[in-house]
Order: sequence, then structure tokens, then C-alpha cells
Amino acid sequence: MKRSHQETSSVQEAPSISTNKKIKLKEEDDNMDDELLAALGYNVRSSDMADVAHKLEQLEMVLSNDDNAFNYNNTVHYNPSDLSVWAHTMLYPDLDPTRTTPSDECTTSNKRIRLGDSAYTESTTTRPVVLFYDSQETGVRLVQALVACAEAVQTENLSLAEALVKRVGSLAASQVGAMGKVATFFAEALARRIYKIHPSSVAAIDPSFEEILQMHFYDSTPYLKFAHFTANQAILEAVTTARVVHVIDLGINQGMQWPALMQALALRHGGPPSFRLTGVGHSEGIQQLGWKLAQLAQAIGVEFEFKALTVERLTDLEPEMFETRPESETVVVNSVFEFHTVLSQPGSIEKLFATVKAVKPVIITVVEQEANHNGVVFLERFNESLHYYSSLFDSLEDGVLLPSQDRVMSEAYIGRQILNVVATEGVDRTERHETLVQWRKRFGLAGFVPVNLGSDAFKQASLLLEIFGGGDGYRVEENDGSLMLAWQMRPIIATSAWKLRGGRG
Amino acid sequence: MAASDEVNLIESRTVVPLNTWVLISNFKLAYNLLRRPDGTFNRHLAEFLDRKVSANANPVDGVFSFDVLIDRSINLLSRVYRPVYTDQEQPPSVLELEKPVDGEIVPVILFFHGGSFAHSSANSAIYDTLCRRLVGVCKCVVVSVNYRRAPENPYPCAYDDGWIALNWVNSRSWLKSKKDSKVHIFLAGDSSGGNIAHNVALKAGESGINVLGNILLNPMFGGIERTESEKRLDGKYFVTVRDRDWYWKAFLPEGEDREHPACNPFSPRGKSLEGVSFPKSLVVVAGLDLIHDWQLAYAEGLKKAGQEVKLMHLEKATIGFYLLPNNIHFHNVMDEISAFVNAESCG
Repeated sequence: MKRSHQETSSVQEAPSISTNKKIKLKEEDDNMDDELLAALGYNVRSSDMADVAHKLEQLEMVLSNDDNAFNYNNTVHYNPSDLSVWAHTMLYPDLDPTRTTPSDECTTSNKRIRLGDSAYTESTTTRPVVLFYDSQETGVRLVQALVACAEAVQTENLSLAEALVKRVGSLAASQVGAMGKVATFFAEALARRIYKIHPSSVAAIDPSFEEILQMHFYDSTPYLKFAHFTANQAILEAVTTARVVHVIDLGINQGMQWPALMQALALRHGGPPSFRLTGVGHSEGIQQLGWKLAQLAQAIGVEFEFKALTVERLTDLEPEMFETRPESETVVVNSVFEFHTVLSQPGSIEKLFATVKAVKPVIITVVEQEANHNGVVFLERFNESLHYYSSLFDSLEDGVLLPSQDRVMSEAYIGRQILNVVATEGVDRTERHETLVQWRKRFGLAGFVPVNLGSDAFKQASLLLEIFGGGDGYRVEENDGSLMLAWQMRPIIATSAWKLRGGRG
Repeated sequence: MAASDEVNLIESRTVVPLNTWVLISNFKLAYNLLRRPDGTFNRHLAEFLDRKVSANANPVDGVFSFDVLIDRSINLLSRVYRPVYTDQEQPPSVLELEKPVDGEIVPVILFFHGGSFAHSSANSAIYDTLCRRLVGVCKCVVVSVNYRRAPENPYPCAYDDGWIALNWVNSRSWLKSKKDSKVHIFLAGDSSGGNIAHNVALKAGESGINVLGNILLNPMFGGIERTESEKRLDGKYFVTVRDRDWYWKAFLPEGEDREHPACNPFSPRGKSLEGVSFPKSLVVVAGLDLIHDWQLAYAEGLKKAGQEVKLMHLEKATIGFYLLPNNIHFHNVMDEISAFVNAESCG
């Protein structure tokens, strides 16, 4: 009896384990996003499907009344991917739709999609290689030579690489248009790599010259305008009731983002808040910039305080340096093309996240290049950056005729990035761009949750593009709460916003 | 809300899987917000709400894609989908995108997405997914055209763009099948895309470009009269006669009515297809699509004109059944499409 009991008990163990497993799988299934809808861009948990359906039914009833439908003309929509929240906020408009769903309380890296089943597994979403080209402008031989040269560099066949880079140079010289220019920069970068000419670290050229290049880039393309505009929109929404707004700009440069924000604050209903700006940078001109902004502030009636923080690297920043006044002010952290620079050293991004968290910002606005230029394998990095910068140069070619100086300076601005991505390594390689998907993982793991950018920001950014854009090929795209600026369906930069998990806002 | 409306909602819930119902209802409600009574369209909100995906040269499930600017003067983009190369380990470099197709006969489907001439794009997630499935099922190349949309770009812009795309595909040396050094072209589309396919095929016939077949999924046609199916199914399965009218008004030239041949190819104003060079057609009709009488009439019209047509009348299918692979109609139609485009290789 005992024996058989033992036997049966050992047999019973197996089923009970598998039953537990089955039950667990089922729970996981229910907590998983519906795969089929996920592939189409909608995140709906299987367990929520019936509830979402019910909400849509209710919404249909509400909308079928023409009066109600009219009221929805001015609704601001957020994150259409999250159907449950979208439907809910349509039904109950007073709810704060930028607030993330409870599901986002877990790390955003846990996308709840079963790996291996759906077409959009993690590995593929982090490494899409986005390609766009103009079929009327071939330059095939040029690209052939470029890629072959990069392959030779990858396999360390330097004599072949040397021969090829010379060929690229001569082909590029006779290639018209964007392709020729891109190829010239990539050829130079390859040459430096082959001849082991290492461009010295970031501080090599005068930082103020770097800023001048950026200013031309700002003037002649819509990318920075889009970045500043969308970031400012998110900031404004986050500080509506603040009496003192303290913006920490992790890369102040020429301060081009701030006059518009100050003006918007000046016009705030109920009067402007006090505005404190802490500009982080490494050029000597920061103080003067602060003085100019102070004059503007005075002219528009905004109480203003400025502080310059000159540091070598962002990781030199310590929370105390910002001298925040938590009892009276609302802190905002802003970063336009700065976060990726700290990925060049292990441990740095964690330090920066910690510093940012320590000042308890109500929102963090982040703009980054939408590309993966931080891959370990050189050839992959080369290919991806070739595609990315080809698109970028293509967008410069199009549209309104640029004054030649603006164009040349903008190209030089981009050219420096290319040199950095292709020709440098280690701590010198600071242009370590990563995609929104990758950044979402990083921010999620660091304890931040997304703040969604809405349809009003989208619309205004689109209108802005039409005015300043210059080319028909620009499009604003919404992506799971973030906004991207794309050229010919290829995203170039992405604006996202974050806040501390469990924080106010 | 009227009791009949309530019944409608419940009815539509019983004929499709729940996630399909959620997907299509979401579109319906969102689209309601976009169409303004004065005939204008909330394009910004439409683009905000549309779920888009980038092209991806990294193969996913054996398919990779890339975007091509076919005509810069009108900013005409297309997305090309190809099956992964058999000897390939890395994602193809930019040079290898245009590697010649490897086969005696390789069908190339020129695809026009739906959206009633106003909605969606080649990079809409629903259509990117559908095109990828077509490549997988048919083992062909798919070129999806990002045509200009109404109401900003009404008739004949979409047709013109389709025609430019057809010429582009026809002249790509890397799309030529080995057997005869020609591109083996099929035109395909759903909803308005099906309508565009028909009209591009007409022009192809007049101009001597050989189109091997047309695949029309729930093609968008209409006419002046209210057919029985329109009256009976109005509002019952996601679509209303009123919204159909809105889209025709947005697409057709100012002052035109639904007798215009773009809307009703077999109206008295349409050209006869008798003796005309026209490809064989696969016409898929969903029985719960309120315009199915027009679609059946279209198939009948082709037949009467002596053109080759295969009709698939799926009586229990609704609009959009082909967007998710969770129903029998989806699989049946995919099999038919595969047989249709591969008929030459097998026959």
C-alpha cells in the first residue's frame, strides 16, 4: 500500500507541476497582450479584451448622438496604441490621459508579448534596419565601393580597404546630390580608421564653433525646431500649476529652445510662473547667454534666474550642483541629443539617471536620434549609419533652396557625427545613438515611466513643419506615446517624456 | 440610443472573433471622428491615430522590406517586400536590396492598400502586416504604393500614382523573371485599393503593359441606387451608407455623382470591357459588407464582357476579415490568392 502510495505520489507530482504550469501559463496568457493586435500596433491584454469591447460599444452610443460628436472636436488624444486607456478617456474625458496605465508600473521593457511567437520579437524590434532610397539617383557603384571598403575594414584587410577608400573618393567627387556628400564624409571616416588617424576627444574643436554649426542646422532644417517644440509642449503640460519652474537643460548650447518656452509661460492664463534655467555645457559663452535670456525675460515680464554649469562630462554632474529648492519649485530636466553621449563609458548612464532622479523632476523631456549607432560590430554600425545619414542628407537636398553657407554648415554638423560614429572607438565615440525602443528599456529599468505626448502636440508640430519644413517628405509620427519626425517614412528623431514611477504629475 | 442600434452592435459581435471586433470597431469610431460634415477631413488626427511601422531590411519571419522613392516630384513612395535570400545570413546591404529575383517565374504583386481613398498608408501596420503575409504565402515580391489620398487629392490622383508605380515595377530589371526576362505583374488591393487596381489594369490594357491578374478584396464600388444589400445591412456590420457616400463625395470630382465610372465601372457612363485587353480577376466579396451587391455586380459585369473572373463570395465574412489570421475566410482567401498568382508555375 505504502509502496503504491509512494509510486502514485511520485506520479502525482508530475501532473501537479504541469497543472500549476498550465494555470500559470494561462494567467500569463491573459496578462499578455493579444498577439494579433500587437502586430497591428495595438496593445490590449487578452484579459481586458471584453472590457475594451464594452467601452467601444458605449463610445459608439455616445458618438451616435451628433451633439456629443461635436464636443469631441477638441478632444486631445493620447497613445492610440493603448486602446483600453484611449476608449476610457474618450468616455471619461476628465481623467488625465497622460497618466500611464497601471500596467506600465512594471518595467516598460516587459512588453508582454510572447517571444518567439509574434513577428515582433525583442531582437527584431531592437534591430530594425530601416532603408530608404531614391530610385532616380542610383550611385550604385559608389555605394558598392563604400560597403566593400567597410567590409575590408571589418575583416582588417587594410591594403584592400586603402585601395577602396581611394576609389570611393573619386567616385564621390563625381556623384551629384546627397549621395555624393554622404559618401565623402563616410570615405573620410573610413580613411581615418584605415590610417589610424584618431580624431581626438569631443573637446578637440572649439565648443562654440560646434554650437555655431548646430545653429545653422537649426536654421536650415526642421529637426531641432521639432525637438524644441515638442519638448516644450510636454514641459508646458507638466507645469500648468507650478509657481516656480526650474528647467535643467543638459545641453544648453545656444539656448535656442528657451525663448519660446519663456514666451509661452509669459502668456499663461493667470500669470507667468517664475522661471529658473540651469544650463549645462562646456563653452565659455554660457554666462553671456544667460544674460541675454535675462533681458528677454525682463522684456516679457517673467521673473528669471539663470545658472551656468560648466562640466567636462555629464557624469561630473552631482545633484547638489543644481541647488534645487524642492519646497517651492517644480523641476524639469531637458535633454536634446545629450543622453546618448554618456553611453561611451560603462556605468555612466546609471550615474546620470541617478543624478536626474535625485532632483525629483516632474518631467524629463528627451530627444534622441532614432537609429541604432551603438552596435558592437563595426560593419553593422557602418551600414546603419550609412542608411540613416543618407536619409538625413536627402532631406537637406530637398525643398526650399538653402543659402549655401547654411547648407555647408549643416552638412559639417552632420559630418562630425558621421566621423564620430565610424572613425572613433571607446570613450571618444560619443555619438552612441539608440532607438526609442532601446531607450524605453533603459528608462524603464531605471525606474521611469512614460508621459504620453498627445494629438495636440502632434498637430501643432505638423503645422510647424508645413511652415518651416521646406520639403514635402517630412511627417510626424506617433509611436506609443512618443512623437517622431520622419523623412520619407523613415524616422529621424524621436521626442519622449518621462517621469519617476510613483511620482506626482 | 435606438433599440435597433443596440441589436446591430450585438449582431456584429457574434460574427467575428472578439479581437477582430475590437480592431474594426476602433477603426469605425476613430474614422467617425475624422470625417467632417462639410466634407473636410481631420488629416492630422488621422495620421496621429494611424499605427505605422518602419520598413525593416532585417528579415522578420522570412520577409524584409525597404522604402523607395519612385517619383520625387509628387513624393510617391512605395514599400517593397521580398522573401529573404536563401544564402543570406546578415540583413541585406543596400546593394543587395535590388538583387535580381531568383526564379524562372517570380510573381510581383503591385498592392494598393484600402481606406476608402482617404485613410491609411503603405506604412500602416495593418497593411504592412498584410503585405508580409502575402509574400510568405505566395512566395512573391510585393510592392505597396503610398498613393495620394482624398479629399486633399481626389480623382484621378490615386489612379495616376498607381499608373506611375506600375510603370516603375514593369521597368525594374531586378524584378524580371528568368523565364522570359519580363516582370510578372499582378495588381491587388482591398477596398479603395481594389478599385484602383481595376482602373490601373484598364489603363495597362490600353497601353500595352501586360498585367497577369487582378486581385480585388472587398473592392470599393458603388452607384446611384441603393441596392438591397445596402439597405439591409446599413449600420449593421461596422459600415454605413452615409459614410460610403461621404468617401465617394471626397474622392469623385466636384459636382459628380456616383454614376461616375470611377465609382461604378459598369454604369452607362463606363467604357465597355468587351474585347478589351484586361487581366483575369479574382474578386473576393464579403457577404456582410453592405456594398456586396455592387461587388457582385462588378464580377458579373466582367463575366458578361467576356473577361475571365473567379468570384469568391464569403457569405459570413465582414469587412476587414483579411486583417487578422484568426478566421477561416482569411486562410481560404490566402490559399486562393496563392494559387491565382502561381498558376503559371503550376500549369
